[in-house]
Amino acid sequence: MGCAVSAALPIPVIQLLQVLTIAIGAPGVTGVIAKVEARLQGRRGPRIRQPYYDLAKLFRKEALAPQNASWFFLAAPVIAVTAYLTIPLLIPVLTTYGLPLGYMGDILGGGFLLSLASFVIATAALETGSPYAQLGSSRAKTFSAITEPVVLFVVFTVALLTGTDLPYALAATVRSSAGQIIRPAHLLAAAALFMVILLETGRIPVETHTGTNEFGMIEEARSFEHSGPFLALIRWGSELKQLILYTILADVFLAPWGLASTQHVGSVLLAIVALLAKAAAVGCVVAVIDNSFAKLRLFKITEFAAGAFLLAVLGVFTLYLGGG
Amino acid sequence: MSGVQAPGVYEGAANVIAAGMLLLEFGMLRQALVRDQIRLYMAQSALISVLAIVIAADRNLPDLYALAALSAALKVVAVPLVLRRLLRRAGLDDEETGVAGSNTLSPATAVLAGIVLAAFGFFCFGSLGIHGPGAPALALALAAAMVLVSFGLMIVRRDVASQAIGFFSLENAISLASLVVASGLPFILETGFLFDLLVAVVVFGMLIRAHHSRAESLSTADLTKLQG
Repeated sequence: MGCAVSAALPIPVIQLLQVLTIAIGAPGVTGVIAKVEARLQGRRGPRIRQPYYDLAKLFRKEALAPQNASWFFLAAPVIAVTAYLTIPLLIPVLTTYGLPLGYMGDILGGGFLLSLASFVIATAALETGSPYAQLGSSRAKTFSAITEPVVLFVVFTVALLTGTDLPYALAATVRSSAGQIIRPAHLLAAAALFMVILLETGRIPVETHTGTNEFGMIEEARSFEHSGPFLALIRWGSELKQLILYTILADVFLAPWGLASTQHVGSVLLAIVALLAKAAAVGCVVAVIDNSFAKLRLFKITEFAAGAFLLAVLGVFTLYLGGG
Repeated sequence: MSGVQAPGVYEGAANVIAAGMLLLEFGMLRQALVRDQIRLYMAQSALISVLAIVIAADRNLPDLYALAALSAALKVVAVPLVLRRLLRRAGLDDEETGVAGSNTLSPATAVLAGIVLAAFGFFCFGSLGIHGPGAPALALALAAAMVLVSFGLMIVRRDVASQAIGFFSLENAISLASLVVASGLPFILETGFLFDLLVAVVVFGMLIRAHHSRAESLSTADLTKLQG
């Protein structure tokens, strides 16, 4: 046993494990959030494994497409999931050291992939001619345009803190000393990123995640016309996106501890468990927020984004005098 | 890696508290209800007491513990109590016209305008280059930003109660600056500054009551009309 734990894994296997952890863990994190949310409301709630059953059921169903939709309507979910599965190669999911493909792209590269995925889904929703899907994609694009400056300022903060914009560098900086955690720039940027994550994953106070009221829908409305395996891919894609964003928040900003610093099987396995635990912890916070706030009116979402922008801008300001 | 160097933990904590105070100032700027503004003011005043304790522990200044306690008693307990009583007397405890929604700008616009003001104050003070032996330049610049944002709050609001809160938080900003720059001031001088606040409370209390008895509202929009 001791021999097995200390055996070194080849680098490509670790890189593959990063993708597999995200791919397989994502529905589970959604399940945990749903369970915690139900418990907080005094309900028993669905099983934690429920999202897996949902996906399995959808993958077995027949797929239908609207009559006038082109090939792109069916290609979009596949492209989106591919983009989401590429991002775990770029960010520190399991290791403190950069993996070979980790330097393909920086934070902006990951951001481009995320927006490419949401762009193809929005375009596919436009293909359908369904008013709700179109409204949803139009709203999703509007709000992502509003949050774009926030993301940029968070990236600026990272760049000023580390002198580069690689996620590995920031995680290493945060680990290096307690002074790095308690500096205002870091805390403000992390808070701004958390607000962006709430907005991007369609959580309260922006959107009711489980709601059936079409008028309030943003992200959820886009998949109205998809069915069968393609709907499953879109669902899985949004779960992947959620876990990726949680991973960035936890492993890069808030708690870059528990990552493997060696190639040993034991430390990599521990890193997988630590990542899922951290993501579940972030999910619990999100569930508490879900239960303690009301959904904002659609036109109040700009105020929410303005708040996040304020945090990110102040983060950059504080760095300019050197002390932040 | 050639990033901006991190300051020490104490200085970092002081800066974080100053940044938190500035954020609460922005919260007051966008908050519609006076009731919630008072709550934010209480939180901001509590933060400045915490900052006094941090500085006292860091630089071994026992006077500051007493100042922190006095400031907490005054600003976290007494001033909000007086303000709430004044509002209840005026019958404006809840969301009434003239108090709620006295914003002249929409909250998002107000926040963006506040960011511009804060940036102006921040970089002006930053370029002065005040580097005392124990004065984090950042906390001082944040205090300058807070002063300007609280002025902005007093300008964009159209009711006397919010303007009073803007003025009191302005005093908080100045206390922050004095704590950071001159934390070694004699205790009697620091308490003297604190009692200035009491004068301001009395003056604003008179103003609120006088205005309410004459105009039956707290809105300053009524002051633009001439009365013969």
